Amino acid sequence: MARLFAPRPIFIALLTFWTWFGATPLYAQVKGLIVGPGAERFPIAVSPLKNLGQVDKRNLSQEIADIVARDMDLSGWFRVLDRSAYIEHPQRSGITLGGFDFRDWATIGAEALVKGGFEVKGENLVAEFRLFDVYQRKQIVGKRYTGKVKDFRRIAHKFADEIIFQLTGVRGIFDTRIAFVATAGGRFKEIYIVHLDGTEKLQVTKNRTINLFPSWTPDGRSILYTSYKDGKPGVYQFDFFSKKKTSFSSRKGLNLGGRWSPNGKNVALTLERNGNADIYLLDRKGKILRRLTKNSGIDVSPSWSPGGDQLVFVSNRSGSPQLYIMHLSEKETRRLTYTGGYNTSPDWSPKGDQIAFTGLSGGRFNIFTISSKGGDSHILTSKSGDNEDPSWSPDGRYIIFSSSRNGRYHLYLMRANGENQRRLTGSNGDDTSPSWSPRLD
Amino acid sequence: MRNRWISPKLGLVFVALLWLTGCPPPPTSKPLAPSSPGAESAQRAPGREVSQPSSLEAFRRGREIPSVPPTSRSSALKDIYFDFDRYNLRPDTRETLKANAAWLKANPSARAEIEGHADDRGTNEYNLALGARRAQATKDYLTTLGVSSDRLSTISYGEELPVCKEKMEGCWTKNRRVHFVTITVRPSS
Repeated sequence: MARLFAPRPIFIALLTFWTWFGATPLYAQVKGLIVGPGAERFPIAVSPLKNLGQVDKRNLSQEIADIVARDMDLSGWFRVLDRSAYIEHPQRSGITLGGFDFRDWATIGAEALVKGGFEVKGENLVAEFRLFDVYQRKQIVGKRYTGKVKDFRRIAHKFADEIIFQLTGVRGIFDTRIAFVATAGGRFKEIYIVHLDGTEKLQVTKNRTINLFPSWTPDGRSILYTSYKDGKPGVYQFDFFSKKKTSFSSRKGLNLGGRWSPNGKNVALTLERNGNADIYLLDRKGKILRRLTKNSGIDVSPSWSPGGDQLVFVSNRSGSPQLYIMHLSEKETRRLTYTGGYNTSPDWSPKGDQIAFTGLSGGRFNIFTISSKGGDSHILTSKSGDNEDPSWSPDGRYIIFSSSRNGRYHLYLMRANGENQRRLTGSNGDDTSPSWSPRLD
Repeated sequence: MRNRWISPKLGLVFVALLWLTGCPPPPTSKPLAPSSPGAESAQRAPGREVSQPSSLEAFRRGREIPSVPPTSRSSALKDIYFDFDRYNLRPDTRETLKANAAWLKANPSARAEIEGHADDRGTNEYNLALGARRAQATKDYLTTLGVSSDRLSTISYGEELPVCKEKMEGCWTKNRRVHFVTITVRPSS
């Protein structure tokens, strides 16, 4: 699949970083390997952490290393070396420069190395991590984290995010969550929230009807979703802190979706009058400010540009569903997609340059990206079931989507160029309509 | 476009009552007597509203999603079908709707909720809007055939409540439909 794509902005970001900070040796290695043909992955070793305290009852030494290693793998930039090849004993060797032998790591082909130590005191955990350049025998970064033992996963993700920051100039996205719709083996569609690593699953709705289209507020404190709990589709809000669900829009006809503007002040939402679905601008309390589309066709699925001045949405005004972009101030609308007869569910990249969407090609639904200026369209999935409902990561480097490639619908992660497609969920029901949270700090 | 004669919760109560007493009767079993002076039931007691289960109610209870194909021998309101991503009424569906309009005219106290459905291809949100279009196009046509619009309400379930679950055209065809939920007034005894 890699050959289908020209080098993408993600690589440019890497190069820019090296230019800014000078070519420290590891970056030079990364540059040579990652930007090379076929985007070869950078070999990294993640050593089990050294226990600096009492008995490691929970096997945190391995578990924390596993989480960092998986994040490195999911990032798409690293090839994590198999732990069985590691030579040194993690509990007997040191974790700082001079406390271990770089040759033990160079021998097995590691070019970067993560080492660390931890100590548990009651409910509290102190963990420190270091990232080394094996060739140059230097430390790139070291970080110490303190928290509760039960939060060890988040601590591991935070250091994974730090590694990505050190190597690319943009913090990683591994400490984030996904809201989605799941049938969970039953027939009802309920809203769930799960950490990107699949843990801390929270069931938001339990109304035994149909719940759809979760989407986050920009501060990550709440989600909007559509529910049939009162017999017809209304839009509701769930606040994670108060744990309260409130009605956001329950007007006559359909109330669908709802996306917060990046500044958190407005919501773009679909309402229906006499069979005609249009997009409306609402304030943060759900009051209508104005109708944004005044068209006799179907207008649905708005998604904001990162600047909040434009919306991409779906309209069938030309006879089939296509993407359109509306400038809110200029009140001007232009058509974005011209290829394919069915293009829906757009999501505007946080970087602003691209829009991901679902398109019908060859009888199957697949994920595409298109430049927000028009043109330069790429198909990111193909030949594997139906692939739908893309949602960007907060750094704009990844897309999560729903795919039926293994029978039922599950959530998958891929890089923004379609590489490194990995399954994230695997329940016995259908997992659909993912929405990626903003960064949660 | 929720009807104003019967709240969803009230509808559930009626349906629950029906289930308590056994299967719901065929909706056409008792056309109501016209409200002439001789029709004592309509005069003295307005009667009890009886709704068939909507697709959502059937779904919630784990029952089969109701469908009344045009080939059904029942004289109830029959489903109509649509082409992919379309909400125009085909000639064959217009014939079915003419029969449905005739039934509604013959049963002037009956009302109908028009459910718009879509197949599961494409995006859920677009399909909900498409279902609303199908329901509205159906309502508009019945109105032009002389059925009072205040006897008709609409709701869309998009692709959420399929009658047929396999991923094949034979199923998709059945799911791209409008289904009618009739609400009749049964005289109190």
